[in-house]
Amino acid sequence: MKPAPFEYCRPSTVDEALEALGSSESSRVLAGGQSLIPAMNFRLTDVSLLVDINRVEGLDAVTCDSGGVTVGAAATQTRVLEDDGAASVVPGLRAALRHVGHLQIRDRGTVCGSLAHADPAAELPAVAVATGAAIDVTGPAGERRIDAADFFHGPFWTALEDGDLITEVRFPAPPPRSVTIVDEICRRAGDFAVAGLVAVIEVDAGAVRSARLVGFGLGGVPTRLQAAEAAIGGWAADHPVVTLTEAVMADTTDAFDDIHAPNWYRGEAVAALTVRAALRALATEEEV
Amino acid sequence: MSLDIDSHIRHSSRYVGRSVPRREDRGPLTGRGRYVADIKLPGMLEVVFARSTEAHARITGIDTSEAEALEGVVAVFCAADLSDVNTFPDYIPYIGAVRQRPLAEDRVRYVGAPYAAVVAVDRYIAEDGASLVAAGTTYEPLPTVADLDQALASGAPKLYDHWESNCSFDVAPHKPEVDRAFEEADHVFTETYVSQRQTGLPMETRGVVADMVDGTLTVWSSTQSPHMVRTTVALMLGMPEPQVRVIHPAIGGGFGTKTHIYPEDVVVPWIARRLATPARWIEDRMENLVASVHAREQRHDVEVAYDADGTIRGVRCASMLDMGSGEIFMPGTAPVFVTNACITGGYDFPNMEARTIGAVTNKTPAGAYRGFGIPEGAFVMERIIDRVARLTGTDRADLRRRMLLRPGQTPYVMHGGGRLDSGSHTESFERALEMSAPRLEQVRKRHAGDPDVRVGVGYANYVEPTSPSYHLTTGHWGGGDAATVRVDPDGSVRVAAGLSAFGQGAETTAAQLAADALGVSPQDVTVVLGDTERTPYGLGSWGSRGAMMLTGSVLLASERLLDKARAIAAHMLEAAEADVVLEDGAFHVAGSSRPSVSWAEVGTAAWVRVVDLPDGMEAGLETSGFYHPENLQHQLDDTGKINAAASWSNGTHIGIVSVRISTGEVTIEDYIVVHDCGTVINPALVEGQVHGGVAQGIAGAMYEHFQYDPDTAYPRFASFMDYLVPTCAEVPHMEVDHFESPAPEQPLGVKGCGEGGTVGPPAVVAGAVSDALSEWGVDLTECPVTPVAVRAALRAAEANRGGGSGAPP
Amino acid sequence: MTIIEPISEANVEVTVNGRPHRHRVPARLLLSDYIRDTVGLTGTHLGCEHGYCGACTVMVNGDAVRSCLMLAVQADGAEVRTVEDLAPAGSDALSPMQQAFHDNHALQCGFCTAGFLMTLESVDPAEWRDPERLVELLSGNLCRCTGYQNIVAAVTEAWNAYDGSGGSDDG
Repeated sequence: MKPAPFEYCRPSTVDEALEALGSSESSRVLAGGQSLIPAMNFRLTDVSLLVDINRVEGLDAVTCDSGGVTVGAAATQTRVLEDDGAASVVPGLRAALRHVGHLQIRDRGTVCGSLAHADPAAELPAVAVATGAAIDVTGPAGERRIDAADFFHGPFWTALEDGDLITEVRFPAPPPRSVTIVDEICRRAGDFAVAGLVAVIEVDAGAVRSARLVGFGLGGVPTRLQAAEAAIGGWAADHPVVTLTEAVMADTTDAFDDIHAPNWYRGEAVAALTVRAALRALATEEEV
Repeated sequence: MSLDIDSHIRHSSRYVGRSVPRREDRGPLTGRGRYVADIKLPGMLEVVFARSTEAHARITGIDTSEAEALEGVVAVFCAADLSDVNTFPDYIPYIGAVRQRPLAEDRVRYVGAPYAAVVAVDRYIAEDGASLVAAGTTYEPLPTVADLDQALASGAPKLYDHWESNCSFDVAPHKPEVDRAFEEADHVFTETYVSQRQTGLPMETRGVVADMVDGTLTVWSSTQSPHMVRTTVALMLGMPEPQVRVIHPAIGGGFGTKTHIYPEDVVVPWIARRLATPARWIEDRMENLVASVHAREQRHDVEVAYDADGTIRGVRCASMLDMGSGEIFMPGTAPVFVTNACITGGYDFPNMEARTIGAVTNKTPAGAYRGFGIPEGAFVMERIIDRVARLTGTDRADLRRRMLLRPGQTPYVMHGGGRLDSGSHTESFERALEMSAPRLEQVRKRHAGDPDVRVGVGYANYVEPTSPSYHLTTGHWGGGDAATVRVDPDGSVRVAAGLSAFGQGAETTAAQLAADALGVSPQDVTVVLGDTERTPYGLGSWGSRGAMMLTGSVLLASERLLDKARAIAAHMLEAAEADVVLEDGAFHVAGSSRPSVSWAEVGTAAWVRVVDLPDGMEAGLETSGFYHPENLQHQLDDTGKINAAASWSNGTHIGIVSVRISTGEVTIEDYIVVHDCGTVINPALVEGQVHGGVAQGIAGAMYEHFQYDPDTAYPRFASFMDYLVPTCAEVPHMEVDHFESPAPEQPLGVKGCGEGGTVGPPAVVAGAVSDALSEWGVDLTECPVTPVAVRAALRAAEANRGGGSGAPP
Repeated sequence: MTIIEPISEANVEVTVNGRPHRHRVPARLLLSDYIRDTVGLTGTHLGCEHGYCGACTVMVNGDAVRSCLMLAVQADGAEVRTVEDLAPAGSDALSPMQQAFHDNHALQCGFCTAGFLMTLESVDPAEWRDPERLVELLSGNLCRCTGYQNIVAAVTEAWNAYDGSGGSDDG
């Protein structure tokens, strides 16, 4: 399990990186490499040139303000996970990162790399969609900002074009009285989820006011649970759960079917996670 | 076996029975362990195998020219190049002969079958070459069989043209007494139980390094059985055995997978001989998942006759093994026979009629995995007992109590001839129940307020045959091991044993045994294992045999050595032999104040100052013993029965689980093991064996499953993302307690403990989850018990009640 | 050092266990193979080469890293530590964690041990000593022999001794 031959460069500026990316047919950005290098070790990915962005100046920054968190392309998952400011402004980041791989993976893996890799069972793309993140991309066509909702096109397929580089992602802070919950069914600690949910739930006076519900591991891209978002408004702990579960089931009829789970299970699991999240959010309000 | 030394150690052991710290630890702890992949020889070339990407096909062409043209590639070899290599022997007469060639010639029968070897200056380039060979290979696909049903269907595509069907063997005894039980019983139920395909998965993959110098071929192999590798490699390469030396350096686990002798074990030495250059092949994990044996894939069609009071009158069980392609040496056929032999466990239950069937499919060959068929049988028996308890309203624990062998009932001959020599069958169960009761209460209390959680308890009682016959498995080898003990002039002891090990602590164990036998400290004992040139013949570590084989062979050799040493000491002390005793590491005249004679003095006399020897005594102080357990049988008797194990350990597992109804997630809240492996030599090592075995059992109960596409027989796994080896977070804390029922006929009463841990968990988890979900009537019949399986069972239960598609809650 | 023009081989300077090394390596050489074959330190083991089993864990600039998921060229200028660096030099003594593994029978075949030790070496015990956190930490390394029971026991013992708390939970 050794990678096939490839060329390598290690630019120090974004411009150099873009030039290198444009110089070869199947060039790839090497950030954390925690998904790319295994694929290369399996010889599943054809790469002619790896452009290592880990030493590009300014790409590893993590900055927080009251409006959100901005994460640079080379910032590792551990760095964001351990950032208390980021955790308080966008709680979904720490909540999600706790589920991402293991310590050794997070020490190298990057937040932007997870978005670019777009594994349909990954947590971070769902957080990006749930929080309405904006992804800054630069490439042959110049700089542009892509909403997370438009970024994910399918399994391992995004709005990125050949030669593009994510420079940073901005996760906006969720609404003030909201609770963010990241929950998932996974077979082993640190695995990609069989099915998961990122929920940003606003609670008011013992009932859910509104929620942004994004499932992952369900389909090719993070899935907005629109029927469930409609059904959850006004829901309270003493309401029947079937209102929520049936809505989620309606949202997930097209869920994946693979060796880890059939599609009906994924729907049921996310339905259960939705109920669990709503109850937790309501309980959190009581505590406060 | 009767040895004077035996009773001596039993009465005055200083090291046997204690957790003597392991001597094997320092290497791996400091990074200086030496595994096969750490061996580097001057000029060594790297080998990579091209493997079939088809499940069943004729190879119509292999174009190796591009690979051969690649800079750094030294050679590419295919089957035709190996015409001077013999075929793997087919020693077992009653199973279908596979006539396996080391490299596939014109037909491949599973994804992963090796058909070409690329030799290059480094591993990276060798992989480049193998990719080019793969690209240059053309196939004519053949229809596939992906499971037992497909394999045994009439008109099924055949894997072997010279066979009548895909059935390799079908052994069907008939027992009139079982017929009578079915006639007389109140009720009968039928069910099918399934164990899924798994593997031992050592953290170190396989690997072979070979070098031929001055006519001697040295092979370093990550094998569990170096002497068997030597015998087989010599046979296949047509070399005299003394010219083949097999060394196993440190081994990173084996768990049965490395008992087999694989194509690579033969091809890599052949390459080293052919190119007159050292060659190395290290299996990578992608290969390991398809090219090292799989195991445990069995189906059991049972009929159970029972009475209204819960008495089980008789069971008929057809046990069917999915052998994969069958292209493995030794064949992977034996586990299903073990399943049937052990299925009734420690229960007093003679009315079992067990049929044994094996069929080939287009999957990785099946073979050995720790447990070797026992877990599959325990699963069937415990699920049957739970079902009968439920059907008759009998308490599950009480029903087991009624069936378990009681004190005084051993020796007990099982339905297939297995002779349970001793044990604590009832005692272990009662002790485990006692340990579990307060915990069950705690777990119930903890989850009492959660309407989404149910709690259940599961039981497994089992027996573990130890030091079994290898004749049934290989058709060739027997079941004993040799050891040599030597005392050097300085009084140091050297033990060389035919046994070898891969993490169990056999060196520490051997040192404890020799230290007690010769009255020295373990620090004074050097232990040599795993090198055919430096050790006498032995079969290696498998079948829970290490402890007994070491005990028997080391004590036998030690007793012989002691006899001679005592004679030398008596001569030096000018005393009668009978008056000389060994105490505190020296020979004395009993009751006398005369100075003692040390081991160094005896050793010096034996090897150096031969003038100090008694007249006519041959010099030297080195003795050997070949230990073969007395009552171990290798062939069926007139009634078709056999006791194919030297002794039988036993145990009880009880697990408490919580099940989340809405998601099907199962958590093992508590896991209790009561284990009886006879006399314990090193308690820490035994406990370690139990821990590791249970973890592997839980892996099989809940996580690991090799899945294949039913239409193409193509593997649906390629990595640790699909084959779910449990991490620390999935393995629960275990409480372990022990009984010690000595093996009455074996030295020191030692039985063996390697496999028992794996046996309980599938039965325990399925039983506990079924118990937790009893209000829905869930009764699980297969593993792994996954969240999906739990939800599917709840949906099926609900559908049966006419509750529509919606499952609870 | 910046490398602007794509290359298939590079010079790397890596400090391994305090010793500087300079080599010319292929771009595709994995750090794990660099450590084992080029530098010759074979205590770091390869268990899966796809970043799951953790056997090849080493420290790179203080972080626990799967060396099979990093290129040797990426380690240019870095400080790498491997299992060979844990025991005090020039004596037979083991590090406290190594000793705890030995005392608690926390290894059998020993193939995974280096990965566990390096993961543990990279973290601050205060952050991970809570039992649930410890399980989370250890879940990045597979062991097939011990069922993890004695590894957990060894770490708990070593860390209790480390901060002198003797098992109280004031950490």
